[in-house]
Amino acid sequence: MDILHNLAFGFEHALTLQNLMFCAIGCVVGTLIGLLPGLGPLATISLLLPLTYSIPVTGALIMLAGIYYGAQYGDSVSAITMRIPHASSIVACIDGYQMTLKGKTGLALFTAGISSFIGGTVAIIVLASLAPALGEVALLFGPAEYCALMMLGFVCVSFVTTGSLLNGLAMCLVGVLLGQIGTDVNSGAQRFTLGLPFLADGVGLVSIALGCFGIAEITKNLDAREERTPFNKKIHLMPTWPEFKRIIPSALRGSVIGSFLGILPGGGPSIAQFAAYAVDKKVSKYRAEIGSGAIEGVAGQAAADEAAARTSFIPLMSIGIPENAVMALMMAAFIIKGIQPGPNMIAGHADLFWGLVASMWVGNCFLVILNVPLVRYWLSVFKIPYSVLFPSILFFCCIGTYSVNNSLDDIFITATFGLMGYIFLRLELDPAPLMLGFILGPMLEENFRRALLLSRGSFATFITRPISATFFSIIAIFILWQLVTFFLQARKSNPPRGQPV
Amino acid sequence: MNNLNLLKGAFLILISLAFGIVSLRYPLGRLDRAGPGMFPLMVSSLLFLIGATIVVRSLLAERAPMHFKPRNIVIILASLAGFALISEYLNMLLGIAFLVFCASLAGTSYSVVRNLKLAAGLIVIALAFQKLLGLQLPLY
Repeated sequence: MDILHNLAFGFEHALTLQNLMFCAIGCVVGTLIGLLPGLGPLATISLLLPLTYSIPVTGALIMLAGIYYGAQYGDSVSAITMRIPHASSIVACIDGYQMTLKGKTGLALFTAGISSFIGGTVAIIVLASLAPALGEVALLFGPAEYCALMMLGFVCVSFVTTGSLLNGLAMCLVGVLLGQIGTDVNSGAQRFTLGLPFLADGVGLVSIALGCFGIAEITKNLDAREERTPFNKKIHLMPTWPEFKRIIPSALRGSVIGSFLGILPGGGPSIAQFAAYAVDKKVSKYRAEIGSGAIEGVAGQAAADEAAARTSFIPLMSIGIPENAVMALMMAAFIIKGIQPGPNMIAGHADLFWGLVASMWVGNCFLVILNVPLVRYWLSVFKIPYSVLFPSILFFCCIGTYSVNNSLDDIFITATFGLMGYIFLRLELDPAPLMLGFILGPMLEENFRRALLLSRGSFATFITRPISATFFSIIAIFILWQLVTFFLQARKSNPPRGQPV
Repeated sequence: MNNLNLLKGAFLILISLAFGIVSLRYPLGRLDRAGPGMFPLMVSSLLFLIGATIVVRSLLAERAPMHFKPRNIVIILASLAGFALISEYLNMLLGIAFLVFCASLAGTSYSVVRNLKLAAGLIVIALAFQKLLGLQLPLY
């Protein structure tokens, strides 16, 4: 009953007129950027960060969270109707687009909307019951455990987002190094500032995010030079009763899988979708149809997607360690608003925590209203040609960067990171782990130094304490497994060669 | 030389060296009382190792070429730099116009009329930001 009481308390805060408005703005903006190419949730959240300085704390965080899960949903709409996912809805392309080809776009969109709603609802129950409990576990964590958890996060994120441990880990480390720029907190020494005064405070988060995700992404799209054909078909939304009955079991399965995978380090929507889809393919009653436009192929993954997007807030809010790049950015937003996420947050800022949780359910309702009956109007944004869109996005990037410090110098920094991000993209290095490394870098250093200080310089502290030893052994298993698979592949693909390559 | 994995490793090594060599200039301290140079040195050494592994692996695996088209990124960066410079020395309204006209060179089609309309639209948005949201934009 405690949960119900707490949720009721949260709804009191989420249902004020002001917070409802922020939630609606977040969902609308999120859906819009999810639909349009060129700006992902990472770039948009960092773009709007400076605008939230003047908004009250709860409202600002409700809006930013709305952008995140709204974008997740908008992305799946664009995947279903045109087979163009911008961020993570790769799975929605498979069955969703097949359904569009069969002329069942409306049914696919309805399924995705309802399943997302179910997924979100399940996730909120998980969030409300698990986050406080996990917060108590987190009180046992010392600096060594925090270090180990962050490293585990790096390894998992690298593996999940890029599929290659080496590439992802390298990007995390580049991010950590970029986070070192500026004044050292312990000694006051200026590090890597190249003697430039505006680097003494470090590189701006907004500059890195807009450079690596905004500008680099735009240029990549321009290089591809594809003109999109707008979606003009008829949409028939309402399903028949037998169709509706098929949605439910698959969506519930997806919600549970998504809620669980969202909590794990490195987890989040993309991996949850794949897992839910794979499970549906194994156990669904209609498994033979999946892949050729089955309702289950859309329902399960959509539910998992939304569920994971919400439960990934759990590690951030209860332990204080974000588990993926978007959550790292949310953490930065919390800190800008003067709130340190972590075990003390739920007790210290109960109104904020429960208000945010409740607002996610409100956001869920907004998304269903926005996306199921109004989806026709959203699809008309595809008619905007890219030649109009991308200069506008550049304009917003410039204004966003400028308004952080009212400084035009920051635009040059953004441009520099745009170039760097473009090089990373062309080298097939995914910049998402960089963001996580950049935000966690200073925290990692702090905890690392503190752990060694407490143990008088002995690294044994990382493996003698049980919790951190567990984390490090998981990391070791991951790395060993990668090495073994690499050598097995190398042996298979490299028959003895006579001539030099 | 156009080998994606080789270049990838080389680029990472370059970054690790840039940070690693500079961090040697800061006091390292001891392990139990780390100085400002210790942590960046450790991280960049690790990055160096990863870069080296990627280079070694690239010599064993098959080559894949890297696709790098400098044209669009140069246009985009030039329009950003031009926007910042013009806003600094003249005013931001001209900067916005420059941004639109310069950046759209990278698009698939170029139309002066469309650019004029777009620039006008963005200027209206910028004015709205300044007047309604209270952003400090040096518009004119």
